[in-house]
Amino acid sequence: MRNVWLVIQREYLEKVRTKAFLFTTMFIPALMGLSIFLPTKMATMKSNKVTHIVVVASSQATGDAIRSQLAERSQDIGGKYAVDVDLTASDAERAALAAKVKGGELDGFLWATDDALTARSVTYTARNVSDFFEAAVLKSAVTMARMQSRLTRHGVGAQELQDILKSVDIKVETGEKKSSGEFMFIFTFILGAMLFTTVLVYGISVMRSVLEEKNSRVMEVLLSALTPKELMAGKIIGVAAVGLTQIAIWAALGAVLGGPYALAARGALQGVSIPPATLIFFAVFFLLGYLLYSSMYAALGALVSTDQEGQQLQIVVMGPLLFAYLMMFGVLRQPNATFSLVLSLVPFFAPLLMYMRIMVQPPPAWQVALSIALMVATIYGMVSLCARIYRIGILMYGKRPTLPEIWKWLRYT
Amino acid sequence: MPSPTVQLEKVRKSYDHFVAVDDLSFQILPGTIYGLLGPNGAGKTSSLRMMIGITVPDAGQVRLFGEPFQRGHLRRVGYLPEERGLYKKMKVLEQLVFLGEIRGLNARDAAARARRWCERLELAAWMPKKVEELSKGMQQKVQFIAALLHEPELIMMDEPFAGLDPVNATLLKDVLLEQKQAGRTILFSTHRMDQVERMCDSICLINRGQQVLEGELKQIKARWGRNNVQIEYEGDGSFLKDNSLLQSFNDYGNYVEVRLAPGADAQQLLHQVSAGAKVYKFEMVEPSLEQIFIDVVGKTDA
Repeated sequence: MRNVWLVIQREYLEKVRTKAFLFTTMFIPALMGLSIFLPTKMATMKSNKVTHIVVVASSQATGDAIRSQLAERSQDIGGKYAVDVDLTASDAERAALAAKVKGGELDGFLWATDDALTARSVTYTARNVSDFFEAAVLKSAVTMARMQSRLTRHGVGAQELQDILKSVDIKVETGEKKSSGEFMFIFTFILGAMLFTTVLVYGISVMRSVLEEKNSRVMEVLLSALTPKELMAGKIIGVAAVGLTQIAIWAALGAVLGGPYALAARGALQGVSIPPATLIFFAVFFLLGYLLYSSMYAALGALVSTDQEGQQLQIVVMGPLLFAYLMMFGVLRQPNATFSLVLSLVPFFAPLLMYMRIMVQPPPAWQVALSIALMVATIYGMVSLCARIYRIGILMYGKRPTLPEIWKWLRYT
Repeated sequence: MPSPTVQLEKVRKSYDHFVAVDDLSFQILPGTIYGLLGPNGAGKTSSLRMMIGITVPDAGQVRLFGEPFQRGHLRRVGYLPEERGLYKKMKVLEQLVFLGEIRGLNARDAAARARRWCERLELAAWMPKKVEELSKGMQQKVQFIAALLHEPELIMMDEPFAGLDPVNATLLKDVLLEQKQAGRTILFSTHRMDQVERMCDSICLINRGQQVLEGELKQIKARWGRNNVQIEYEGDGSFLKDNSLLQSFNDYGNYVEVRLAPGADAQQLLHQVSAGAKVYKFEMVEPSLEQIFIDVVGKTDA
């Protein structure tokens, strides 16, 4: 045990102190921050822009109605409209306005004469015609204005008019039990995404770490003091701890930077409470999945003799995780089907699929316990397997084992 | 007689398609220096690996400290692998502390001992540096310290002098002799016969996995007798081709070392040499190990 601890310590400290660790720890949140910040910034930049348009209408009333509708709606997309009403609806005027738009004096003009309105065919001529939001806003503004003027003409009073045109609020409510499950399965996808990225990054790291020693003679020195099993267990846990440290740093950063926003948004999330079991299982399944896949990478490292070879064979290790990810949808739909039960008990799929079942419709406790026990046993088995491959693999420096040889190694004591 | 520190009994190890070591037997007495000799690829490293349990013999037995090999013995063994066996990215002192700790020292003792050794071997300034920044010779010294840190009773070194300049080689040789004085048993492998000659009490010579010569150095040399002559000359070297007088010869450039044919007379040789060349030196000597090795291997190869 002491030896395992020493290996963990060394592995951890060596990795955490590298520049690569510092870089990824800082760079990835910065990248994520930028990817959130930049679009928001771009959106706000647009909101300060005033779009100057001319509405060509047959009467001042129609023009005003469109202007006021636009003013009301433009808030939704965070822009402002400066609207001039033009009552000269002639071809010459149209050509003149088009020239202005082309020349950049005007952002666009709306041809909304009574004829056009009656025909329900209003033309908007603008320099920038690709903005769907703008088109939608104009469409609803003109439709509302048209409705308004028709209703006024039919003698509807201003008061009543306002009441008619006022939009209806839709309150989104959720049925008690089921909806919480629908919401909760999101956690499984988060778990899946996290497991995927962490395993990819740190799995390779474990593999390299094993390879590094194998290719130098360090392991001869180590093996004269440690058992291969101690070495492998220490490596897997040590590198895993590095990954967890990085995640913890990110989580802390997220809490500090995102905390105020989360508090502000609390109102929106009201009624959504996350049961502690969700988070505990999240931690348990993430950790076990992470260790399991790390140990598979370690076995890969013990088996191959170069980095490139290892990268090529990576798919064999990632395959089961990928498969589990794809099966999540099936399990989500039928959490109690036999295939769901069987798949969720397979240790390589359990981190995602058993967790999914727990989230959607809690299975009997013994199934959860069994899947956890199976995972723990598999991790232990993987470590022994690694140790064995490692132990025997080192006898063949630089030689790629054939399948029968691997089989022979595994049976060798 | 004390039980031998290391004992190999008819050890055999074969890899897929070749036999690395076959029928190797020898024993190393406590407090002696033992040399495992042989050319490259003779099976030295394979033998050492079996002695520290990295590999297991296919047949035969390895005994350490009078008992069949078990992992527990390794606490009492210091091992220096061939080439470098250090973490490149790790700092020298931290590395030594780690290697000391996995051999059972606590961190404080390991650090204190590592410092002492680094000072002794002129590495003190390099303690905070990463191993990869060190020259090959300095790395070898770090490796050397790592093997001695836990004060093992048995020190096994695979080519300890490889890549060292003469000054450092002497430094390490002195340390090893000191360790011997302190009662430790030392086994090292080398392909450089001259080093062995100066240090070893006993040797085992292997070639192509076969043990060709084993025993106390003094006895081996006595067995070979003073049948060798070192000749320094200038002029005609045709006497070297006289098979009636010479069994074999070895040209070192400045001088030749010849082995007399059985029953041949040294005086007769001297006459023949002086007939065609100017003789600067003509000396009867004990055969060098190298000469013995060439003799023996030449014989087995033929």
